[in-house]
Amino acid sequence: MTKEETFTRIIKQNEGVIYKITRLYTRNEEDQKDLYQEIVYQLWKAFDGFRGDAKVSTWMYRIALNTALFHLKKDKRSGYSVSLDTVVLKQKEYDPLLDERLNVLYDSIRNLEDLDKAIVFLFLEEKKYEEIAVITGITSSNVSTRMARIKEKLKTQIIKK
Amino acid sequence: MELEEMQAVWSQMSDQLENQNKLTNKLIMQMTQERYKNKIGILSKYEGIGAIVCFIAALSLLLQLPKFDTWYLLVSAVFTIAYLIIVPLVVLHSIKEMKRINLIENTYKETLVAYAQKKKQFLLKQRIGIYLNFILLVVSLPVIFKVFKDEDIFMTNVNLMYWYVPIMAIFLLVFSRWGYGKYKNVTNSASKILEELDNTSS
Repeated sequence: MTKEETFTRIIKQNEGVIYKITRLYTRNEEDQKDLYQEIVYQLWKAFDGFRGDAKVSTWMYRIALNTALFHLKKDKRSGYSVSLDTVVLKQKEYDPLLDERLNVLYDSIRNLEDLDKAIVFLFLEEKKYEEIAVITGITSSNVSTRMARIKEKLKTQIIKK
Repeated sequence: MELEEMQAVWSQMSDQLENQNKLTNKLIMQMTQERYKNKIGILSKYEGIGAIVCFIAALSLLLQLPKFDTWYLLVSAVFTIAYLIIVPLVVLHSIKEMKRINLIENTYKETLVAYAQKKKQFLLKQRIGIYLNFILLVVSLPVIFKVFKDEDIFMTNVNLMYWYVPIMAIFLLVFSRWGYGKYKNVTNSASKILEELDNTSS
């Protein structure tokens, strides 16, 4: 299998993950498509260095989350003009009820601080605390402490609403 | 929405996403290539063009340096030339530094820390830049007069300086107070992030 074939296979297997990250870190479809391309580009750039001794998912989550974080914060003026139509997003096929609940869910996570946002996302992706620690760079015990705090924050958000 | 409810909705969405395959091999490779092409021209777009314009202006002033025949005109010209060379270099260096954040090797925390640090440095440079801009506005006026009209403004149009300098000073005061407030807020929040992240390693 060539490098390109292996890469496209991995991206296809994980396109849902990339989609979820892009939706979490952007607020409109144009930015989402732009971030989607940037993540695929960063993964391609990093692909030669991926030796396979780490789990594909850990490697992918780390790069995708770093890219999303940086993309979100950097000055838009230094961005690039890309033909966005090449990216096809998935959300069109949701049923309206699920979509409404998803909007509430994404908004709740977006309101969290950057580190908590990544932690709760990985938690929802059913990652163990150890893997969350490897991806985010904090200790497992810190992940656990922060998760307890995040639960409290989410409850407070509901009360405020 | 509580965490347990979030988990249920997330899992439902993930199941639906699993069943959608939108990307083709061609599309994936197109994304990487198109992105690569666009990466090349980034600097040339804004900061690069700005820097070239500044360097040309500096060179042209440098060639006309003998024209500045009094010490104050010479000081104004030297400051203007130094500004036109140093400021674009600092801007280009900051952009390069920002791009050096390693998104591939870093953990998420390291990216957050690197970003917060670079942001603080960038804002400090920006603040210094605001003051320099106003000095430039004042000293460039005699330079412009000398280059385009071959006049010493202090001899021929000194009245212009009497109202121009105080107006600039008022602008400087108002703008820098506003800028300082913003600067303080952003650096405080960057410092808070750094402090908080520092605690996560213990």
